[in-house]
Amino acid sequence: MRGKTFAFLALASVLLVIGLWVAHPPASRANGEKDEKDKGGHAHVPAPLEYADAHVPLAVWTDPAMIARGKEIYTVRCAVCHGDAGDGKGPAGVALPLKPSDFRDKAGMAEMRDNYWFWRVSEGGTGEPFKSKGSAMPPWKGELSVQDRWAVMAYQHTFSGHQGPHVPWEHPESVVVGRDIYVMACLPCHGVDGKGDGTVAATLSPRRAPQPRDLTSAEFKFRSTPSGQLPTTGDLFRTLTEGVRGPGGVMTIGLRGYRIMPSFRYMPEEQRLEVIEYVKSLNRAFRERGEVKIVGVPTPPPVTPERIARGKKLYADAECLACHGERGRGDGPSAPTLKDNRELSIAATDLTRPERFKSGSRLEDVYRTLVTGLAGTPMPSYGDSLAGSDVGSGLLPPVAIARRPACRGRRCQMRTASRHKEDE
Amino acid sequence: MMRIMGAVVTGVLLLTTVVGADEVPISGTVKSVDAAAQTVTLESTVKGKTRQVVVHLKPGAKIVKFIRAIEPGKTGFVEQPLALTDLKPGWVVSVETKHEGNKEVAELVKVVLER
Repeated sequence: MRGKTFAFLALASVLLVIGLWVAHPPASRANGEKDEKDKGGHAHVPAPLEYADAHVPLAVWTDPAMIARGKEIYTVRCAVCHGDAGDGKGPAGVALPLKPSDFRDKAGMAEMRDNYWFWRVSEGGTGEPFKSKGSAMPPWKGELSVQDRWAVMAYQHTFSGHQGPHVPWEHPESVVVGRDIYVMACLPCHGVDGKGDGTVAATLSPRRAPQPRDLTSAEFKFRSTPSGQLPTTGDLFRTLTEGVRGPGGVMTIGLRGYRIMPSFRYMPEEQRLEVIEYVKSLNRAFRERGEVKIVGVPTPPPVTPERIARGKKLYADAECLACHGERGRGDGPSAPTLKDNRELSIAATDLTRPERFKSGSRLEDVYRTLVTGLAGTPMPSYGDSLAGSDVGSGLLPPVAIARRPACRGRRCQMRTASRHKEDE
Repeated sequence: MMRIMGAVVTGVLLLTTVVGADEVPISGTVKSVDAAAQTVTLESTVKGKTRQVVVHLKPGAKIVKFIRAIEPGKTGFVEQPLALTDLKPGWVVSVETKHEGNKEVAELVKVVLER
């Protein structure tokens, strides 16, 4: 009797599973995902690099005028899907495969960073992963100005009930993924608070520069922004991806390609962007700065004997040779006395070894270094003192010198070629 | 007792199967409208692939857009009926379709965005 009961229950269970599968088949024809695990498909992925610096000015979030302006726009353009109450239950939104965001969801809102939010309002569901999830969200960047988009966000923010600006120090949940990656990959050198005082830091390059960056300071060496400004997210991404070249102590033995900071190019891009968002959260200035200006890199001029001659003159006039030396080997008369802003000895770069250029050896990298300088080091910015074409000319001697093989042996040349290939 | 349990289980299975009825939501951009055939062709993306879906409208199917209520004292949105020919390429719509006779069939089309 027991055996029959068991058999019956087993059969009933199997039938039930089949029945449920038939009743709710895999929605292969629907273009949305009904799975609510990732906020109904609203995965809060990192904003792409072109939007990563689009942080909303802090005052916008609580400015009554902006909130009122946002309400007007929201009522006309957003409420039909997101609902007048911001609950994602507007009449046109209820049947959408990817449900409109519920702005009253405190936890979901806290996880959402401002640049992600601005990206979504600007580009709608046209980007991945939302396009594949069947998002019907239209892009508003063509119809709403930047200020209008900020105003809409400020109004949407009010539905969450949060008072104050929507920033990581109010919502640590928004950078928790990046924080975990930071703890595993960056903390030993950059320290718990990002001050460059990790336990391994002292052994990386004992008593001389470079040292792990103090991520909470205003000085970042590798930038595409003018002198004295913070780097862009793209700059941080490039540094993380490429690593930093430089002479290190015993702890850097084994790092590929003469690096003091390893390259994280094999870390998935999304994780690199997450950890950068965490790094930016350590320094409030990233969100308090206004518009981000970037130094443009013009197309390199053709290499001609005249330009090389002019570059050679500029190289001398701009006193590059005082540090880098006449032959560019980093052995100029001032080289032995150079110190960085921590009063640590720092070597002038040997321009005949492009594989050792800290900020990259491509022509655009060298141009960027010349124009922006390397903050915190004796390398000044030449953005003001040299005109664009002059900077282009000034590039030529070091690059011309750099292209000269540093060694003549076949094995050495093969090694250099391999490093160039790695740079590419 | 076992017969009763069996009947209950079977009943539940039949009920869920009938209620479920393979109904799925689709949203997409209107590519074209065929008033004679009573069809709307939508372009939608599913799992990274863009595809075109021909949605057949049932006789008497409704097409609506939502407008703000203008009557005094009323708030929110009200439905405004549209004709099939009012739908324009480029508009974003959502439909709940049923798979019938190898066709996607809908009774209600909601306009999400006119552009």
